[in-house]
Amino acid sequence: MTRKFSWSWFNVWSVGTVLIAAAVAAPILSVLYIALTPGDQIWSHLASTVLPLYISTTLQLMIGVGIGTLIIGVGTAWLVSTCRFPGRLIFEWALLLPMAMPAYVIAYVYTDILEYAGPVQGLLRDLFGWQTKRDYWFPEIRSLGGAISMMTLVLYPYVYLLARAAFLEQSVCVLEASRVLGRGPWRSFFSVALPLARPAIVIGVSLALMETLNDFGTVDFFAVSTFTLGIYDVWLNMNNVAGAAQLAGLLMFFVVVLVLAERFARRKQRFHHTTSKIKAMPGYELKGWARHLSTIGCALPVLFGFILPAAVLGGYAVIHFEAATDTQVFRFAANSVLLSALTAVIALAIGIFIAYGVRLRNERIVKVMARFVSLGYAVPGSVLAVGVLVSLGALDNGIDGFMRDTFGFSTGLLFSGTIAAVTFGYLVRFLALSFGSVEASLAKITPSMDGAARSLGHGPFRTLRRVHIPLIRGSALTAAMLVFVECMKELPMTVILRPFNFHTLATYVHQYASDEQLGEASLAALGIAGFGVLPVIVLSYAITRSRPGYAEKGQPS
Amino acid sequence: MKGLHVVGVSHAYGDNRVLDNASLMIPAGEVVCLLGPSGSGKTTLLRLAAGLERLQKGRIVIDEKVVADEDHHVPPEHRGIGLMFQDYALFPHLNVLDNVSFGLFGQAQNQARRRAMDMLDQVGMAHHAENHPHMLSGGQQQRVALARALAPEPKVLLLDEPFSGLDTNLRGEIREETLAVLKASGVATVMVTHDPEEAMFMADRIKILGHNGTILQSGRPHEIYYHPRHEFVAKLFGMMNRFESVVENGHVEIPLGRIAAKSLDDGCPVEVLVRPEGVTLKSDGGERSGAGAPVDVTSTHLLGHDNIVRVRLGGDEDNGKELYVRVHHAFEPELSKRITAGLDPDYAFIFSLDENGEESGQKTLNEAQPTRPKAAE
Repeated sequence: MTRKFSWSWFNVWSVGTVLIAAAVAAPILSVLYIALTPGDQIWSHLASTVLPLYISTTLQLMIGVGIGTLIIGVGTAWLVSTCRFPGRLIFEWALLLPMAMPAYVIAYVYTDILEYAGPVQGLLRDLFGWQTKRDYWFPEIRSLGGAISMMTLVLYPYVYLLARAAFLEQSVCVLEASRVLGRGPWRSFFSVALPLARPAIVIGVSLALMETLNDFGTVDFFAVSTFTLGIYDVWLNMNNVAGAAQLAGLLMFFVVVLVLAERFARRKQRFHHTTSKIKAMPGYELKGWARHLSTIGCALPVLFGFILPAAVLGGYAVIHFEAATDTQVFRFAANSVLLSALTAVIALAIGIFIAYGVRLRNERIVKVMARFVSLGYAVPGSVLAVGVLVSLGALDNGIDGFMRDTFGFSTGLLFSGTIAAVTFGYLVRFLALSFGSVEASLAKITPSMDGAARSLGHGPFRTLRRVHIPLIRGSALTAAMLVFVECMKELPMTVILRPFNFHTLATYVHQYASDEQLGEASLAALGIAGFGVLPVIVLSYAITRSRPGYAEKGQPS
Repeated sequence: MKGLHVVGVSHAYGDNRVLDNASLMIPAGEVVCLLGPSGSGKTTLLRLAAGLERLQKGRIVIDEKVVADEDHHVPPEHRGIGLMFQDYALFPHLNVLDNVSFGLFGQAQNQARRRAMDMLDQVGMAHHAENHPHMLSGGQQQRVALARALAPEPKVLLLDEPFSGLDTNLRGEIREETLAVLKASGVATVMVTHDPEEAMFMADRIKILGHNGTILQSGRPHEIYYHPRHEFVAKLFGMMNRFESVVENGHVEIPLGRIAAKSLDDGCPVEVLVRPEGVTLKSDGGERSGAGAPVDVTSTHLLGHDNIVRVRLGGDEDNGKELYVRVHHAFEPELSKRITAGLDPDYAFIFSLDENGEESGQKTLNEAQPTRPKAAE
């Protein structure tokens, strides 16, 4: 008689999850460790010189972007989800398009258009006969205000997406009750719809602000002294690891506030639905000038956030065709694609492993560790980059020391400054994306499926392969695609972590566009935006399907 | 001995104790129903037997092999159990045939197919082999789930509320078919249900679970119905007429008549529960002819075969007490008419109210501990 007590299989998931979570947490923890260790004089030096500037600039940037995305995101979401006006069905998905543009790309484009030598000011000078800069006033694009505008233009879709979903989820009955009780559409919006959507809006704004803190390309180009820029300055120009880590640690404080706000909003969101009756929104048929204003109001963000920059880049790509199609570009594109694809595959595998591990082992430690894995997404790339360098450096030194002591030869730095370091950085930051979507779609599979497969003689791995993976395939692919696209756009970590002389599309665009050679970089920038359109397509598909009244036919339960 | 043994199992979710030293034995070839209210831990018992839940205390033995105790846990895939879920849990991405052959992965493919088709044939679903689960009705899904659970020839089959998802008309039909398939396969079957009628229909033996998995009574359906040894068991089958009285000279007197109370001492306070069908009605205008009590008819409801009659006792002591009576549909008394209510002692049960005494001689039972099975090595 043989008895198969398979402890070992069960433990693979627990131990694996804990190990992965530890690896992902290492960069963040090492930043915190350095930040909290009383270090050298740099800290007080920073505090007395640039720190106040970093703090106030970062805060101003956040407030600006927060207000901007709030107004554009909520306004357009309300218009497309409750009103009827020409082009509404197109705007529903088109309003997401700016998401495809990294902020740094449109920053280069608008600088090119709006600076003194650019076409707009040139045209104005020709029209009015102005001769010099002193003859007229024109807003300086390379400023804090400019950075706020750029980021608002590409980040408002986060707010739009969540606010729109919230407005659609609101029971029409609640709104109708408000109308019947004598409140007009406007007062209903402010007294019922908006408060009900508030948690979703808070989540959207927090996500947009996390992206704001993450941004490096725009603030670098505009020379806006935010924390992120400070970290790079202290790291690359002052060559001070501890100082950079300490700044990064302080930046984490901002992130923690955002994460807490987001979590708090999510918790409140659960209590919000009093009735489950969801009917298709009847939609206020807008009349006269309101119709046109609505159309224009929705068109402007799309125009400035996507169409205009894309057209300018396309124009440059045609004009500078030869320079833009330099063979180097294709090599960098291949680098980007390979690196992103590699990360996407690993992130998906790890995401499935952990999400399924949580399902198998419903244990506290596994769950807590899984939450840890999702942390990276909130942390700005600059902070993670510092953490990855510090922790990999420690690992390299450890291995090197060990090998020298035991075998008498030096391995040098094994991981630092390699593709592996970049991939690891990407993983730490984007694992949350794949884990989150896999976890969400696994949750839709009833636990009795697992029980059925197991009682029919299939072990946990075989159950995963034959039941869960076929069932979650669609969303797993979407998750991998999201990770892929995010990696294609990623700039702040790549800049610090890449091997010497190694370029991705993003770093290439950053380098050339910073040197005012947008023409040469135009094709690469278009390429990044092109890949960025992929998730927009998926999201708009999801939007069409989530539209109330859209029958969910033929869906296997 | 072949079958499923559960020995002294205790289980808690956090502070919530759902099973307390529960023991039961299901021999091969028998259909045993665990009947109990929600919270009696019956589903937990199934999950523990299947290995979906890790055992905290006690021992589970299948065909003389220990599959779980405090230190060991054989994962579900190595236990040789079949499990049918309340929601059937058919795999939506596989067609009916692939669902049924899912558990036959060790065999050659054509052999597995043949076995799966055989099973589908048995449950009358062979012509749906190529369909996907979402194309099937609830009853058809249930049949496929049964075929899937039985295909690998499990040693023990566990059914979790297998008919609760079906509408009433279909339920009777499917119940009968399922029972035939189970009997043909000869597998030891445990079925969990909260529906007494279903348990009566399906079971060779019924085990009534009280709170925390204590078995209040275990027996054949006849025994459970006619000789409930616990107040709770008696009340399972619906409304009861309740009287309080005291034992005198080995008998208990209630307004409807006199019942023998063999095992109780004189002077012992008791409650008497009378099934609605245990009250006999005679339309004699309330003239006292022998045993019985005059009653007034307050309402009648024809249910089809039966007629539900409510009557009010007209005697002095029990003034106003209403009785709930189930009679043959042919008997339809007029409202407000005075008639006589008597008693059929087969449907009347006496339970001691003396807190220190035993309830009619029956205390809560756990089944006798089975002989200690040989631990497998």
